[in-house]
Order: sequence, then structure tokens, then C-alpha cells
Amino acid sequence: MRHKTEALGLLERGSTTAEHLLDVRDLAVEFNTDYGDVHAVNGISYTLDHGETLAILGESGSGKTVSALAVMGLIEKPGRVASGEIVYKGIDLLTLPDSDRRAIRGAEVAMIFQDALSALNPVFSVGDQIAEMFMVHRGMSRKDSMAKALELMDRVRIPSAKERLRGYPHQFSGGMRQRVMIAMAISLDPEIIIADEPTTALDVTVQAQIMDLLRELQQETKMGLILITHDLSVVADVADNLSVMYAGRVMEQGSVWDIYDHPAHPYTERLMHSIPRLDRKGGRLDPIKGSPPSLIYIPSGCPFHPRCPRVRIPHCRDEVPPLRDVVEGRLSACHYAEEVLEDEKAAIS
Amino acid sequence: MGRYIARRLLQAIPVFFGATFIVFAMVYAIPGDPIRALNGERPISDSAMQQLHERYNLDDPLLVQYGKYIWGIVHGDFGKTFRGYPVIDIMKEKFPVTFRLALGAFVFEGIVGLFAGILAGLKRGSFMDNLLLISTMFIAAIPVFVLGFLAQIMLGIQFRIFPIAGIYNGWISYVLPSIVLGSLSLVYIARLTRTSLVENMRSDYIRTAEAKGLPRSRVVGRHALRNSLIPVVTYLGVDLGTLMVGAIITEGIFNIPGVGREIFLAIRGQEGAVVVGIVTAGIMIFIVMNLFVDLLYAVLDPRIRYE
Amino acid sequence: MSDTQRPGGSSDLLEPDEEARPEDAIAAGGPGGVIAEGAIAATAAVEGGASVYQASLWGDAWRQLRRKPLFIISSVLLLLFTVVAIAPGLFTNQDPTFQDLSKTVQAPQAGHPFGYDILGRDYFARVLYGTRVSLVIGLLVVAIDVVVAIVLGSIAGYYGRFWDALIARIADIWFALPTVLAGIVFLNVMGERGLLQVAFVLIFLGWPTLMRLMRSSVLSGRESDYVQAAKALGASDWRIMRVHILPNGIAPVIVYATISVGIIISAEAALSFLGVGLELPAISWGLMISDAQNRILTSPHLLFFPGAALSLLVLCFIILGDALRDALDPRLR
Repeated sequence: MRHKTEALGLLERGSTTAEHLLDVRDLAVEFNTDYGDVHAVNGISYTLDHGETLAILGESGSGKTVSALAVMGLIEKPGRVASGEIVYKGIDLLTLPDSDRRAIRGAEVAMIFQDALSALNPVFSVGDQIAEMFMVHRGMSRKDSMAKALELMDRVRIPSAKERLRGYPHQFSGGMRQRVMIAMAISLDPEIIIADEPTTALDVTVQAQIMDLLRELQQETKMGLILITHDLSVVADVADNLSVMYAGRVMEQGSVWDIYDHPAHPYTERLMHSIPRLDRKGGRLDPIKGSPPSLIYIPSGCPFHPRCPRVRIPHCRDEVPPLRDVVEGRLSACHYAEEVLEDEKAAIS
Repeated sequence: MGRYIARRLLQAIPVFFGATFIVFAMVYAIPGDPIRALNGERPISDSAMQQLHERYNLDDPLLVQYGKYIWGIVHGDFGKTFRGYPVIDIMKEKFPVTFRLALGAFVFEGIVGLFAGILAGLKRGSFMDNLLLISTMFIAAIPVFVLGFLAQIMLGIQFRIFPIAGIYNGWISYVLPSIVLGSLSLVYIARLTRTSLVENMRSDYIRTAEAKGLPRSRVVGRHALRNSLIPVVTYLGVDLGTLMVGAIITEGIFNIPGVGREIFLAIRGQEGAVVVGIVTAGIMIFIVMNLFVDLLYAVLDPRIRYE
Repeated sequence: MSDTQRPGGSSDLLEPDEEARPEDAIAAGGPGGVIAEGAIAATAAVEGGASVYQASLWGDAWRQLRRKPLFIISSVLLLLFTVVAIAPGLFTNQDPTFQDLSKTVQAPQAGHPFGYDILGRDYFARVLYGTRVSLVIGLLVVAIDVVVAIVLGSIAGYYGRFWDALIARIADIWFALPTVLAGIVFLNVMGERGLLQVAFVLIFLGWPTLMRLMRSSVLSGRESDYVQAAKALGASDWRIMRVHILPNGIAPVIVYATISVGIIISAEAALSFLGVGLELPAISWGLMISDAQNRILTSPHLLFFPGAALSLLVLCFIILGDALRDALDPRLR
């Protein structure tokens, strides 16, 4: 199975003939449940290059995790990828047979999950679980694999790694467990790491340590990092680019600082206003009224229109705003994106 | 780990004494004189009665009787029947028979139960799965004695596959009774395996295993099963002990000369020593098996070891 | 597993008791768990007038149950059995005790669909009348066991420490008793064995499992946030139990209790079959089967009809319990 992917040229590290390392185009994922069809992802697109960190920001139920699972090929019944392309190094992953996808999974595109305690198998030692990557993907012996595991645990800075190799997940602290997950993820030098809320379950100080580690690793290996989160401060800390998701769609996309300075979409705008920020003093925090919609009954037209302070019926209700260029390097899915942008710029100056 | 075991051992002691005392009390607190009952209508001299009473401690208060009895057990003396046979000899004769029967049931329920449960658990909602769910309900609903008769008729007589009574044909005579005895546990094991597997397959660590690009055979065979089988294995462990003392009906129907049958006859014959002896031994076995299973659980699940 | 399901000492069809086994907290996750994102959102109110439906454990359960064919069938059957138990005269005009020795062990025939038994009594009538004993014992024993279990389990789970240790140890002792044997020994001790005596012994042997179920529900309920909050607000123990812990905590107990009825019915039949349960002239399926033992080949109807009735009744409770469990467990949807 490794040979097929070799033939496809996918194992060439670092270089690719394709434009982007990862190019997701119009991805749509739905789940056919008894309650109805859940449209978890409704046509999102983004790109990722070597060394780039893309943050996917959204509330619970925005579809961000599902889109990542789709890239990994982990969508199972009753879910399915309804449409779109996931182009990795020029090849659409969705067209590959299962065995090829599995070869890529973990070895080239790896994923880190939120709660390391439940994400790690409780009955195997952490050393075993890291070593497994080498045993399965590289066919190495147990002894060699465990040696590699030790190296990795050192690399992610787990103290006394040698003694802790045979430890079990429940014996580690939250931050250490997350490091174990990271060790597993980077073990085979993947091209892309998808981190799904890696620090949500951790203390703020530990959070910072983990994010530092990720950033460091990224700088060493030039891998692409997709960071899925709902935490605006984490985004500001590490991400280059940002994709804001809502109800399974991308609302705004662009560079982090540009968006943070002047958002071009009412949703993003409201998000920025709802948190305390050092660069804006005074005034009240302003949460967004209402709650995110059910993914079965997504509002017509712009999905945000029921909660949008700038809504204009009937336009916003009847017509789905396309994701379009507002200015250079900024995409927004709002009919009145330019207005939002102007207002924001005015507010700052 | 040591503390865990020590604690379990400590807990087992009062359980042993409590349970055995209850049985002892039940048997020996019967109103009526067992000696007289045994003798029936025949007259017996007062001095003979006195002698027998003394020999069997029948005049002491209950607790003292119990105490003397336990003391006897420690020395391997389970008392004697009223005719003078040492109970321990009876036990030595009958326990191995029941053990073979229990072992047969154990092997049957373990293999078939695990196999069926895993198949059903892997393909939840499939035909296999539904077949398992429905068939287990039926098997559980039919009382074991009816099942026993049915098995005798169908497999023993109609089709003449297996012997239906006694243990004269060597190991094959144990086949039918083992199947019948194990049928109920089979239901539990199959269901438990299935549920455990289904639940584990939905957990986060399985998602991680898949995200690591592991082949399905490894994800299920190593990661999922290892966790899923913990409750099943521990149940199996306890069941072996339970089977040993629970085979009364099966032994009766298939005429197997094991402890179950022996107890039954002893109760009828007011042979208190035999009843108490066998039940006490059964309780001991049960407690030992439980301790063993506790140990096993700690070995299988690292989270328990450090409680 | 012993021959007869240990009343109370045995397992739910799903999981055997794992008294001191720590619960394995496996979060429902995985690719399938992601649906929860959508499904949970689906039940939230959507501004703009989409439907809001109240989800409560019991209400939801009932809705689900109503739709399941197995549940409906077994409920109807159960109802039928109950009617038969209350008024068997509605279904037959024969007297189950009237003996006509000339008709001994005759096979089913016109007017007597189940034939005759050894003493020439109409078998159909006997099987019908036997329903009463089984149902009464089953329901009585389990009802009392449930009450005892709720009380003791709540005390053990809620007050912990000393009470828990005490009650748990007593339950352990009970478990160590081999059920069938203990049942036989106890019953042998009693002089006259009527319905009440048999019921008493079965109650006696059956409470530990239900108690353990209740106890573990209470234990986990006690730790939950809303209970802590209620305590902080000064709610009395009684109120916390009644309003917060009991409604949800009772679910597994009810499920197991339902299946237990089937188990107890089976147990009574087994004990009667062995000759240590009900005595003549009681009409019990177990006794009938016992009589049929020696004539299985010559007169199979003697075994078949009470055997089938017994199995069917127990099956109803098992199906019911299963359906209840599915309906009450949100994870299995």
C-alpha cells in the first residue's frame, strides 16, 4: 500500500507540483439521520501551504470539526461527503481508494484531538501508542519503535521520558497527555497537522506551553497547521490566516490581523466586539443575541440573518451571499461586506 | 496494587463468615429433631439419642455449633453423615463430576458467546445482530428445565446424537448437559460482549486510532477488543464459580451424579452435614473466584491498579 | 450461571453486576458522535418559529416505545395474560380441579384444546389458572424488592461511608449464597409452602442486585453539579433525593425490575418443579412440568403447554425490559 502512494508521488517531502499543499474546494458533508438531514458542512473552501497556520474559528455546531474529519477521511455512516474536492499535493483525496487514504492518514496528515484523556487508549502505555505508528506505517520492530517513541517524548519535552514511557494515560496530567498526542501526531513527520481544539481542556498557562510547542515544531518542520478552535485569543496567538465558520459555511476568510483589525462580516464583527481586548478600551461587552441554528433547519438566504444587526430583509433572507473577494486577500460572505469594512475602518481611525 | 488486593481480601472475610453462618443457621435451626426424623418410626433409646446428639453437637447453642464446625473445616473435617460417612469423602467424589460439567458449560458459553457477541457488535443493526438479540431473548425466556427436556428429546432421542443421562459414555455424556447449563450464561455473555464492543467502538480513542491510519483489523482487534473484553472476562471468571454450585436442575434432568444432585438428596434426607458442607465449599469457591477475578481485572485495566 | 437465573443475583441481560468495578467513562465520540452536534442543535429552539419540542427522559421514552412493534406485541400479550390471571373463567368453563380418571393423559381433542393431565383434569383450564400464581408471585416479589432496593440503595448511595459499607457488605453476603441452593434450603425449612412463603424467600434472595443498581445511580447522581447546587441552596436531603436524584436514577432499576419479573416467574416454576416450591393443590406451571417429567415421550402435551405458557410469559417481560432499556438510554439511539 505504501508503494501505490509512492507511485502517486505523494511521499515526496516538501516539494509538490501543485499550487497549494492542501486545497479544499466547495466541501459539503451531510448526515442522514432520523431527525432529518444534518448539513454539517455546506460548501467551504480554503487553502493551506507549507509553514502556514490556518485557524478555523467557529462556535459549537459550526461544522469545523466535521470538515477536518472529512479531510482525514474519517466521516462514517450516516455521514457522507456530499460534494467538493480535497486536493492534497495535487491529488483529490476523495478519489483515492480506502487503502491509500489510510496510508496517508497519520503518516502525512495527522490529527490531534481535544480531550487527550479519552482520546488515548486507557489500557496501553503511552510508549506503546506512540510506537504503534512506527510499527504499523514503517514496519519497524517493537524495540526500535519504542526507541523512537522515547525520542519523540523527549522532543515534545515530557520530563523523565524514559521512566514515563511505560506509563498509562491516566497517570499523566492534562498538558502532558496532550504532548503525548502531539508526539503521536508528529511521529512520522507529517506534512499537515490538524489540531482540533487542542487546548480547550487545559489551563491557560499549559495552553500557552502547548501552543508554543506546536509553533516550534512547525517552524522546524515547515508543516502546515490547521488549528480548529472557538477561542479568539488562541487564534491571535499563532495563526497566520483565519477562516470563520458559521452554520457549516465560511463567513469570512483572510489574514488574522487584517480580520481582527477590521472585519468584513457582521458575524466576525460581532465576535470581535463580544470579547475583551487590550486594544479597545471601555464600553460594554456585547454578546451576539440568539443562538446558532440547528444544522437541520438552516435559515434561508444568509444563515446569520436572524441574528444579524445589519440585516436587510428581504435581501439577506432570500439570497445566499456568495463568498467573494472584498479586498485583496479577503473573502467575505455578506451582501454588504464593504459597508462593514468601511465602518470598521472608520471606528479605528 | 497490593493495597487493592489486601482490601479485597479483607472484605471477603466477613462475607465468608456471614454467608456460611446463614446457611448453617438455616439448616440446623430447623425445628424438629433430625435424628428422630432419620429414624422414622423406629424407637430409639434415650442414651443412644444422647450419644448421637453429643457426637453431632446438637445440644450446643447455634453459634457454638457453628464455631466448632468452622474449626473442623480448617482441619479438613466437614463432619459426617448420620450414617457415619465423612462428608469430605462424598465431596471428593461428587465435586469433580460437577467440575467437569461446569467446565464444559464454561467453554461452550465462552466460545460461542464471545464469537456471537463480537460478530453482532461489529455489525450493529445487521441481520446477525438482530438475530442475536432475538434469539437470546428466546433462550433466556425458556426455563432451563424445559430447555433441558427439549434438548434431551431433540438431540438425544430424536436424532440420537448425544446421550441423555448419566455419565457412562465418557466425556460425550457431558456435552448435552453442558450446553443446557451454559445456555443462560451464553445469553449474557453474547449480549455483554456486543454492548461492550458497540460502546467502545464509539469512543474517542477509537477515533484516534483510526486517525493514526491503523488498519481496521488492528483498530478493532487490538484497541477495541482489549477494552471491550474486560467486563466479559471478569464475568466469565465469576460464572465458573457460580456454575459449580448452580447445576442442580441440570444434574437432575440428566442424572449426573454431581454435588447439585447430592445436595438435593441430602435436603430430602435431612442430612444437614452434607448440605452445609457442600454449600460451604461452594461459597468458598465463589469467594475465591471473585478474588481471582478482582486480580484479573487489575491486571487487565491499569486504571484500577492504583486505586 | 446457575440453572435458574439467580433472582437478583444474576445479571441484567446487558451487563452483570459490577458492584465495585469503576464505571468506564467512555465518552460517546468518534465520527458517529459528531452527529450529536447537529442532533442536539436540532432540539434547540430556533428563532423564527420553528418547532420546539420538550425532551424529557420519560416522555421521550414513551414516545419511542409507542412506535416499537415488539413493545406493542408484548404489552398486548401481557395484558392478555393479566386478564387470564384475573378471570380465567372468561376463557374456559371447565373446572381445573375436576378429575376424571378415565380421561387420563389424553391428547388434545375437540373441546379440550390442551388435552387432559394425569388425573384427568382439563389441561387448558389448568394452564389458564396457573397464570395467576406466576403473575402474582412475579409482580409481588419484584414490587417489594424494588421498594426495599430503592430505600436501601438510596441510603447506601447518598449517605455513603458507614451505611454504604454496611449495606454493601450485607449485599455481598447475599451474593455469596448460591441462589438456588439457598432457596431450596430456606424453603425446606418452612413447614407449609404457600404462595406467601415462596414469595418471601424469593424477595429475600432478590433484593441485592436491584439495590446495587439504585446505589450506583444515587452515587453518580450525588456527584452531579445540579445536586451540588441544590445543596448549596439549602435543599433538604429528602427533597434532593425526591426531585433530583430519583427521577433519573430509577431508570435502570425499572428496566431491571421488569426483566426481574420474568426471572422470578421462572424461578418459582423451577422451585416448584424441584418440589420445594408451591405444593399441591396449588396450580403452578412448575408443578405441572414436574408431573410431566416421566411422560415426556408418551404424552408430550403435558410438557409442552405449560412450558410454552411459561416461556411466553417470561419472554414478554424480557422484551418489555429490553424495549424499556433502549428507550431510556439516550446513548443507544
